[in-house]
Amino acid sequence: MQALLSFDQSPPLAAPLRFFLTVPWFAVLAGVLLWSEGATVFASRWMPSALAATHLLTLGFMLMTMLGALIQIFPVVAGANMAHPLRLARVVHGATSVGSLCLALAFLYSLPWLFALAGGLLLLAIAYFLGAAGLALRGQGLANPTIRGLKLALFGLWVTLLLGLGLVGALAGGWRLPWAGLTDLHAAWGLAGWSGTLLVAMAYVVVPMFQLTPGYPARESQLLSPVLLLCLLLWSVALLFSAEQVVRLAEAGLALLGLLFAGRTLYLQGHRRRPRRDALAAYWQSGMLAAILACGMLLTAAIAPALAQQRAWPLVFAVLLVAGAFMGFINGMLYQIIPFLGWLHLQNAGRGTAPPMAKLMPEAPALRQWWLHQLALLTLLLAALWPESFARLAGFCWVLANAALGWNLWQAVRRYRQYRQAPMASGQGGGVA
Amino acid sequence: MSTTPPLRVLDARYLEPPEPFVQTMEMLDQLALGESMRLLLFREPHPLYQVLRRNGHCWQTSLLPDGSFDILITR
Repeated sequence: MQALLSFDQSPPLAAPLRFFLTVPWFAVLAGVLLWSEGATVFASRWMPSALAATHLLTLGFMLMTMLGALIQIFPVVAGANMAHPLRLARVVHGATSVGSLCLALAFLYSLPWLFALAGGLLLLAIAYFLGAAGLALRGQGLANPTIRGLKLALFGLWVTLLLGLGLVGALAGGWRLPWAGLTDLHAAWGLAGWSGTLLVAMAYVVVPMFQLTPGYPARESQLLSPVLLLCLLLWSVALLFSAEQVVRLAEAGLALLGLLFAGRTLYLQGHRRRPRRDALAAYWQSGMLAAILACGMLLTAAIAPALAQQRAWPLVFAVLLVAGAFMGFINGMLYQIIPFLGWLHLQNAGRGTAPPMAKLMPEAPALRQWWLHQLALLTLLLAALWPESFARLAGFCWVLANAALGWNLWQAVRRYRQYRQAPMASGQGGGVA
Repeated sequence: MSTTPPLRVLDARYLEPPEPFVQTMEMLDQLALGESMRLLLFREPHPLYQVLRRNGHCWQTSLLPDGSFDILITR
C-alpha cells in the first residue's frame, strides 16, 4: 500500500491528455497549409504562409506539448506541484489552442484585430502557466541540474513571450519597433532559451530513465544550461548594438554547446542497456542527428556568414531544428509518456495488475510512423532547396506523418479506456521512483 | 562487542520504472529502526521523497561526478 502513495502527486490524466491528443492536428494543419500554398511557403522566411505554418508548429505543437507535459511531470522531476492542475490545464490548453489558430489566421489574412486577439489569448495562457510554475518551483534549490534547467527555461519562455508581444503590438497596433531584429531575438529565445534549455533539462531525467543509459556527467549537466543562457544573452546584446564579431562569437558558442549536448546524448544512447530499439530511442537518435546538422550550419554561418545569406539557408536550418530535432524529440516522448501515464493510472485505479505499456502503445505502428516522419522531413528539406518541385509533396507527407501520430496516440487512449472498463483482475499497486 | 551490519545498497540505475520504487520500498521494509540503506539512481526520486517524508524516514542526497544521485535513507 505504501507504493500507492507516490500516485498522490500525479495530476488527473485529463490534464495532460487534452494537450497530447490535440497537438498532432496543429501539425496536420501546417501540412495542409503547405500542401495548398505550395512553393510560396518556402519563398522566404517572411512569407505570411511561412509565418503561419511556423507558429502552428512552434505554438500549436511544440509549446502545447511542453506545457501539458510539464503540468504532468513537475511533481516527478522537480517535486513541485502546480496548484489546481486540471483548471490550469483547461485554461492553458483552451487559450493556447485558440490563440495559435488566431495567430496563424492573422498572418495569413493580415488582420490587426486578430493579431491583438491572438496576443491576448497567448499572454493569458503563458503568463498563467509561468505564474503557476514559478510558484511551484519557489524554494527549490539549484543543485539538481534538471531543476536549474527548468528555472532557466521558464525565464527563456518569459523573454520569448515579451518579445512576441512586442511583435504582435507592431502588427496589431502599428508600434514603431525594429521588427526584423526583434523577430530574430524572439525566434532565438523561443528555440534556444526556452525549447533548447527545457529539452536539456528533461533529457537528464528521461534519457537514463526510459532508455536505461548511463547518466550525464554532473559538472557538464550543471554548467550547460547556464552557459547556454549566457551565450544567448551575449548574442542578444551584441545584436542590439550591431556588434557583428560578438554576434558571430556567441553563435559559435551556442552551436558548440548544442553539438556537445547532442554528441553526449548519442554517446549515452550507444551505451544503453535496453536492447530493443523503440520509437523513443529511434526519435531521439534521429532528432540528435538533425540537431547536429543544424548546429553545424550555425557554426558554419558564424565562421562564414556569407553562406547564410543564401535563400534556402535559414529554411533548411529551421526545418532541421524544428521538424527534425524538436518535433522528433516530442514525438518520441509522446510515445513513451502516454502509455506510461495510462499504465500508472490503471495500476493505481485499484483494478488489479495493469497491462504492460506495450499493450497500450504497440511498437510496430509507432515505428512505422517514425519512418513516415523521416520521409516527411526529407521532403521538407528538398522543398526548402527546390520549393517548386517538392513543396506540395512535402505538405502531403507532413499531413500523413502527423495524422498517423494523432491516430496512434488516440488508439493508445482508446485501449487505456477499454482496460479501465474491463472486469477487475488480481494484483497489487505500484509507483514511480 | 556489537558489530554494525553492512550498509544495504540498492543500485537502481539501470532498472526500468517502477522497479526502483518497488525495490526501495521492499528494502525499506527490511530495515530495523535506525538502520540505513543507500539508493543509487540517475535522477532524484521526488515521488519517493514524499513517501519517505510521510513515513518519517530521513534521507540525504548527493550528486556524484558520474551523474548518479546517492541517497542515504535512514529508517
